[in-house]
Amino acid sequence: MLDLLIDNQAVLIEGVLTTLGVSFLAIALGAPLGLILATASRQNNRLVRRSARVYVSFWRGTPILVQLLLIFYLLPAIGINLPPTLAAVVALACNTAAFQSEIYRAGLAAVPEGEVEAAQMLGLSRRQILAKIEAPQAIRIMLPALVGETLALVRNSSLISVIAVTDLTRRAQQIASSTFQPLDSYMIALILYVAIALVLSAIGMLLERRLKQQEAH
Amino acid sequence: MKHLLLTAAATLMLNPVSAVAEDLLSRITADGVLTVGTEARFPPFEFVENGEIVGYSGDIMEILMDSALPEVELKRLDLPWQGILPGLAAERFDYVVTSVTVTPARRDAYYLSVPIADATMAVLKRAGDDSIGAPADMAGKPVGSQAGSAQLAALEGYADTLDDTPKISTYTDFSEAYADLAAGRIDAVVNSLPNLLEAARQRPDIFEVVAPTFGEPTYFSWAGRTDEDSASLNALFDAELKRLIEDGTLAQLQEKWFGGAMNLPSALPAQ
Repeated sequence: MLDLLIDNQAVLIEGVLTTLGVSFLAIALGAPLGLILATASRQNNRLVRRSARVYVSFWRGTPILVQLLLIFYLLPAIGINLPPTLAAVVALACNTAAFQSEIYRAGLAAVPEGEVEAAQMLGLSRRQILAKIEAPQAIRIMLPALVGETLALVRNSSLISVIAVTDLTRRAQQIASSTFQPLDSYMIALILYVAIALVLSAIGMLLERRLKQQEAH
Repeated sequence: MKHLLLTAAATLMLNPVSAVAEDLLSRITADGVLTVGTEARFPPFEFVENGEIVGYSGDIMEILMDSALPEVELKRLDLPWQGILPGLAAERFDYVVTSVTVTPARRDAYYLSVPIADATMAVLKRAGDDSIGAPADMAGKPVGSQAGSAQLAALEGYADTLDDTPKISTYTDFSEAYADLAAGRIDAVVNSLPNLLEAARQRPDIFEVVAPTFGEPTYFSWAGRTDEDSASLNALFDAELKRLIEDGTLAQLQEKWFGGAMNLPSALPAQ
C-alpha cells in the first residue's frame, strides 16, 4: 500500500485539492443563499415563505447524485452549459444552501424571544437586535451543526466524479483499475478522507473554544 | 429550432471572432479545443498513469491529433461509463474516445467509428479454479459484468443458452467485478478478451483467462453524434483511423499494448 501511495502521491494530492476546493466553494456559496432562505422562511409574506419551503424540501429530499446529473445533463437542454467543475460546485452549493438554511433557522429560533422583546423595549433597531443580540448567540448554537454540514459536504462530494470531476474518490478508482489493487487504493482514499475530517473537526473545536472564551469575558 | 438558435447565439457570444460557426468541426478548429469523453478505467485501452490518461487510445489520439488537427488542443474528460453515451447525446463533449463495444442498438443511436480493436467476449476466473475450463462451465455459478455494457448483454444472451442459468451480478465498472472475483463472491467475469488479458497479466497470481472466447466476433469503436452538425468530425475520425489500420500503425500499437496484432477490418461489417 505504501508503494501505491508513493507512486501516486501527485495525483492523490490533486484529488484531495479538488475535493477540498469544490467542497469549500460550495459551502461558501451556499452560506449566503442559506441565509436568504432562512430569512425568507421567517417572513410574513406567504408566497415568500412557501417558496423557501419548497426549495428546501426539494434539495433536502432528493438524492445528490440525481441533483448532480440534473445540473450537468439537463441544464444544457435549456441552453445553460456549465463546465463539469462549475456544475459540481453549483449543485453542491444549491444542496448545502437548503441544509444550511435549516441550521440558520434553528439557530435564530433558539434565541429566547424575551431577549428580543427586551431589546425592542430598550429601543434597539431591528438591525441592532440582529447584530448584538440574535447573531452572537445563534452563531454559537449553529457552529457545531455547520461543522457537521461541512463534513457531510466533503463526504457527499465523492459523488461528483459522475459528472467528470476528478476528485479524490475518482483518483482512487483510477489507481484501482490501472493497478488491479482495489483494496489498497480505496484504503488510501479512506485514510485521506479521515485526515480531512480530523483537520476540519479540529478547526471547528478551536472556533467553538474561541467563542466560549469571548462569552466568558 | 429554438435549441439551434440558442446554441448559435451562445457560440457567437462566447466566440465573437469566428463569424458564423458552420458545424462542429469548424467550431473545434476555430476554438482550438476538441473535448472528448473517456472512461479511463479500461486498461490497457484507456487508464490513468501519473494523472495522465494513457493507453492504446491515448497513443492513437496523439498520432491522430498531430496529423489531422495539429493546432487543436485535446481535452479528455474522465467519467463513469454510464455517463459517456448520455453525455455525448447531451453535447457535453464533441466525441467519445473510449472503447465502445459495437452493438446494433448503438449503431442506430450513435455514429460508431471505424473499429479500433477486437472486442470478442471471454471469461476470467480465479487462477487455479479447475471448475471452469470453458465458457459453458459458468452454468449455475455466480458471475459478473459491467452494468449497461455490451459485455453484459452478451453474457445474458449466452446464459440463456445454458441449461443451468448463471447468477449474474452487475457492477459500475469492471474493477469492482474483478475485486469481487478475487474476493470469491463471484466465480467468473465476462469482458472483452484484451481487457481480461491485461488483468491476468497484471495479477497472474490471482486471475486466469479461460480459453476459448464465446459468441459472435465483436469490435470496439469510438462514437460521435448522428446529427448533421457532427458529420464532418465523424468523417475525419473515420478517415484517420482507416489510414492507421491500413498503414499498420494500429497493428504496431496493438503489439505494444496487447502483446499481439489484431485482425481488424477497415470498416464496421454491414448489419
